[in-house]
Amino acid sequence: MKFLLNNVGYFFKEAKTTIKVNMMSNILSILSTGLILFFAAIILSCWWISSEAVEALQNEAEINVYYAEDMDEISIENMINTIEELYGVGEARLVSEDEAYKRMEEILGKEAKVLKYLDENPFNSFIELSINLEEMESVIESLRNIDGIDQIRDNREVLEKLRSITSLLETFGYIFIAAVGASTLIIVSHIIRAGIFDNREQIKTLRLLGAPEMFISAPFLIEGLILTISGGLLAIFMSAFSVKYIYTAVTGPLPFIPLPPLEPLIRNLIIMIISLSIAFGILGSSLGLWSARDKQTH
Amino acid sequence: MIEAKEVYFSYSDGTVALKNIDMKIGPGDMIYITGPSGSGKTSLLKLFMGIEYPTKGILNVLGQPIVRGQASKIRQMRRMIGPVFQDFRLVMGRTAIENVMLGARFLNFAPKKLKENAANALVKVGLEKKMFSLVEHLSWGECQRVAIARAVIRQPKLILADEPTGNLDKDNALNIIELFASLKERDTTVIVTTHATHLIENIKEGKLIRIENGIICEERLG
Ligand SMILES: Nc1ncnc2c1ncn2[C@@H]1O[C@H](COP(=O)(O)OP(=O)(O)OP(=O)(O)O)[C@@H](O)[C@H]1O
Ligand SMILES: [Mg+2]
Repeated sequence: MKFLLNNVGYFFKEAKTTIKVNMMSNILSILSTGLILFFAAIILSCWWISSEAVEALQNEAEINVYYAEDMDEISIENMINTIEELYGVGEARLVSEDEAYKRMEEILGKEAKVLKYLDENPFNSFIELSINLEEMESVIESLRNIDGIDQIRDNREVLEKLRSITSLLETFGYIFIAAVGASTLIIVSHIIRAGIFDNREQIKTLRLLGAPEMFISAPFLIEGLILTISGGLLAIFMSAFSVKYIYTAVTGPLPFIPLPPLEPLIRNLIIMIISLSIAFGILGSSLGLWSARDKQTH
Repeated sequence: MIEAKEVYFSYSDGTVALKNIDMKIGPGDMIYITGPSGSGKTSLLKLFMGIEYPTKGILNVLGQPIVRGQASKIRQMRRMIGPVFQDFRLVMGRTAIENVMLGARFLNFAPKKLKENAANALVKVGLEKKMFSLVEHLSWGECQRVAIARAVIRQPKLILADEPTGNLDKDNALNIIELFASLKERDTTVIVTTHATHLIENIKEGKLIRIENGIICEERLG
């Protein structure tokens, strides 16, 4: 195996020569691999973002309790205490009308000026409960038995929706990776096959000189890796820019969506695309070598 | 080294190329194989390299039986052979020295030594001025000498040279024969096919084998 290490430079030179001979198809295959990997990266980052959001929202499962408008402060105080006693409730807190108004202002951001057109504060004060998601059902059940409660609102529906989107994105992500894998393998193995065909005389000579098959294959393996890794780098550039763009586009109008921090997301993206490129490169060129194997020349 | 017992060989289209070949060649032997065009010289070398298999009979080369189903062992055996093909089989688009080095890249020589040996081999065949020329810019005789350098640099146990002097003038041809003869020091066996009668007439050592119509019709010590 020492001969492999001794010839690394030669292998790269050979790979370069083979690429040069078929420059155009190699460039096209880098572009298409890049595009394919780019789409995969975007779908995967959407999945990550939404699963992170679900994770974050899960810990923020909350119930808002609206009480009858004619209740006095002492009754409200009592109600809060009763609620806090309930099993599964972490904290119960009064959110005043003003605070409710301010929160909506924050959520709307730039659009908050619509609130200015209203004559008076349209929001009611309410009691905010932080709870354990698993206890949501039983807490709601117990709340129903307390007198003076007008309305109970929870964010289960939003959470459920987000979760179904996430699982859809996950399935989609897997299907996409499989499709990406298949098309990349087809592209790369086809190019490698063509390279082997162009070099068939040289390969025959090497076999006659007794060269090990690994020595003959190495440049093609490197060619495959050059193709997929270049495509991968292209995909990394495009997806990093797109994800950054999505972040700025989303954080403006929708500040309440809990986005995961950008840097680890991009780091994960880079690791994932590079690993996929390497795997697809090795598999693709192996497939090409295997499909072009010559039973006649031994 | 090489042992052939009643070897017959015919091509897949039915052409009978070799009949009843018996041979015993030892280390350090120098063998000239001669005979008219189409007599079976190249076919015999193809058998020795395991490119073709005997249709009948037993053939052993460097301890390796030349039989079907041992492709990878035969591939390994070839690493001990320095072949000079009748059509050279050089790699186009590469320089002379790159071609010579290619013959030994996978033979575990130290990388620095490899380049040095390649240059030395090219000097020995008189191509010091063409080392860095692309092989497609070389004349036939020059290509032939690159092929010879590629065979020699492998430090093989066995040289199989098919018409290695066919395109060379008398001086260059004698130079190559001398180069081959000098390998005897390392106990390298050299088998050369040739039409060149002036080479055969003057052989001082070695053995001459004449083939006609695939049959050995004369064996003579030089
Ligand atoms: N691949 C092949 N398929 C069928 N017949 C072949 C093949 N190669 C050679 N032959 C035939 O086998 C016979 C011996 O050919 P071979 O090449 O061994 O001759 P040779 O002695 O090397 O001739 P030359 O001196 O012209 O090189 C010839 O009749 C030739 O036509
Ligand atoms: Mg011949």
